[in-house]
Amino acid sequence: MSWLRRYGALIRNAWLVDIQYRAAIVLWLLWGVTEPAIALGIWWAIAGAGSVGGYARADFARYFFAVMLINQLTIAWDSWYLDRWIREGELNYRLARPLHPAHEAVAENIAYKARTASVILIVWILCAAAWPAVRLSIDPGRLALTALAVLLAAAMRFFISFTTGLLAFWTTRATAIMELHAGVSLFLAGRIAPLALLPSAVAGIAGVLWFRGMLSFPVDLLTGAVQGGDAVLRGLASQVVWLGIWILAYRIAWTRGIRKYGAVGG
Amino acid sequence: MSVATVDFFTMPAVVTAEQLSKTFRVKVRDPGLKGALRALLRPRYREVHAVRDVTFRIDPGEIVAFLGPNGAGKTTTLKMLTGLLYPTAGQVRVADFVPWTGGPAFKRRIALVLGNRQQLVWDLPPEETFLLNRAIYDIPERAYRERLAELVSLLELGDVLQKPVRQLSLGERMKCELTASLLHSPPLLFLDEPTLGLDVTAQDAIRRFLIEYRSRHNATVLLTSHYMQDVTALASRVLMINRGRLLYDGALEALVARIARTKRIELVLGGTDGNRVTADALAVFGEVKAFHFPNAVLEVRREDAPATSARLLAALPVADLSIEDPPIEEVIRHAFAQGFEEADA
Repeated sequence: MSWLRRYGALIRNAWLVDIQYRAAIVLWLLWGVTEPAIALGIWWAIAGAGSVGGYARADFARYFFAVMLINQLTIAWDSWYLDRWIREGELNYRLARPLHPAHEAVAENIAYKARTASVILIVWILCAAAWPAVRLSIDPGRLALTALAVLLAAAMRFFISFTTGLLAFWTTRATAIMELHAGVSLFLAGRIAPLALLPSAVAGIAGVLWFRGMLSFPVDLLTGAVQGGDAVLRGLASQVVWLGIWILAYRIAWTRGIRKYGAVGG
Repeated sequence: MSVATVDFFTMPAVVTAEQLSKTFRVKVRDPGLKGALRALLRPRYREVHAVRDVTFRIDPGEIVAFLGPNGAGKTTTLKMLTGLLYPTAGQVRVADFVPWTGGPAFKRRIALVLGNRQQLVWDLPPEETFLLNRAIYDIPERAYRERLAELVSLLELGDVLQKPVRQLSLGERMKCELTASLLHSPPLLFLDEPTLGLDVTAQDAIRRFLIEYRSRHNATVLLTSHYMQDVTALASRVLMINRGRLLYDGALEALVARIARTKRIELVLGGTDGNRVTADALAVFGEVKAFHFPNAVLEVRREDAPATSARLLAALPVADLSIEDPPIEEVIRHAFAQGFEEADA
């Protein structure tokens, strides 16, 4: 019960701060919509009346609407916060409270995701009403599996971002490392093209590493591009394994980093 | 009576630090492009001993001040006591916990107030931070209301609670910071520069609050400050630290008596001839620190003070005379300027 109260209070505060900055919400939302919209525009033009790698225009439309929604549901900005907390000493008072700073970060994630993803979902529903191409027919079982995959992806991306942010204990370039990761994930996570369209070696690397599980796999699950119990199970298992690895990386980075912490400032 | 005496002497210390040390490894770089390139290719480091073999104990209910110039090691010690920093060597126990392994149970027993880092949410009224802390510290609703009312009344916060933090004055923000930090009624307060940058009125309000809070809750307070008024008004004991070493642990008056080599004789001249006394005439008795008829201040060697006073009374038309220690700020500044060991010699 006390954890519910804590998370409730943290999420409430995050929303209260958001309300102070209405313009920022719109800008973030535009950012979240623009990238997949541009990618969709390009692939729409390339596909023309035919298809590319088995993707027709309607398939691209569904894919990028799903990317738009699931990216918002799984994205994590924590490395940028962590970097500032550590370098500027804002971690100090957070360490003095009986609540691990990661909980504040998780609550911020929930607040942010609920806010932006709900708007995108509404946009999608409105678009689907007018444009049949982006309608999805999905059974409850697949929807539940997608929800699980999204949850795993969100958890994994949180730990990737948080752990990368913890590198600020050692380097002032933690956010640059996260930028590099974001750049790589543009291709390997399926943000600008379905992995099926990438050269098989590149798609293979994305599948072996954590990138597919970050975004592409839950998107394919939602759009129906992943078929068959085996493929679904392999995708989920890969997410679980990589989540475990990133949790381990986080634990190592936290326990070692906190010993190195300089607690700058008063 | 005897039981009380036994209790007092067996009372466990609330803070113990033994041979506490903290060494930072700092990258060194020569100025200019050449220096930057060299640092990139062959980084060099040097060790900075921020705290060295510091040992002390603090008993429940004490107010203890860390005294020392910038970079002396005060804040580093405070951060080790609160678990923010891991020491390089030494042992610490605070409220029966080792701070950096104490976890939430330890953190509920302490409050840490950092003068230049704030926990208040900048864009929201302070009450939102209070409500957040109520949830984080699991404070029951009724206790929260009672404590908030007490703190608001003691700190005279009034209508401040509903204003966004960014619109508050520095003094109001520090008062709210204290409120946020004390809602869980911690028995142990660590205050790092709690009056930093505040005007005289706000400083005074914070000091009065801390005295009152401590007497109501029998809290133990450990504070660092650059303002001697904080130390003289609040602390029953000082820990003087410089270049990471603990140089003195005891009462402030005893410290002044130990390192001040002079006394000040304050005179009020009177009688019919009082206005004929000149600065030159006073200079015969000691160094004239101030002379504005009828008041004069002379500084003399500590051991000469009684004899000089007697001579002054005999030779001049003195209406009033008192012997004082020099201002504490001056004594401490002098001690640090000369190096404490020298001043102590």
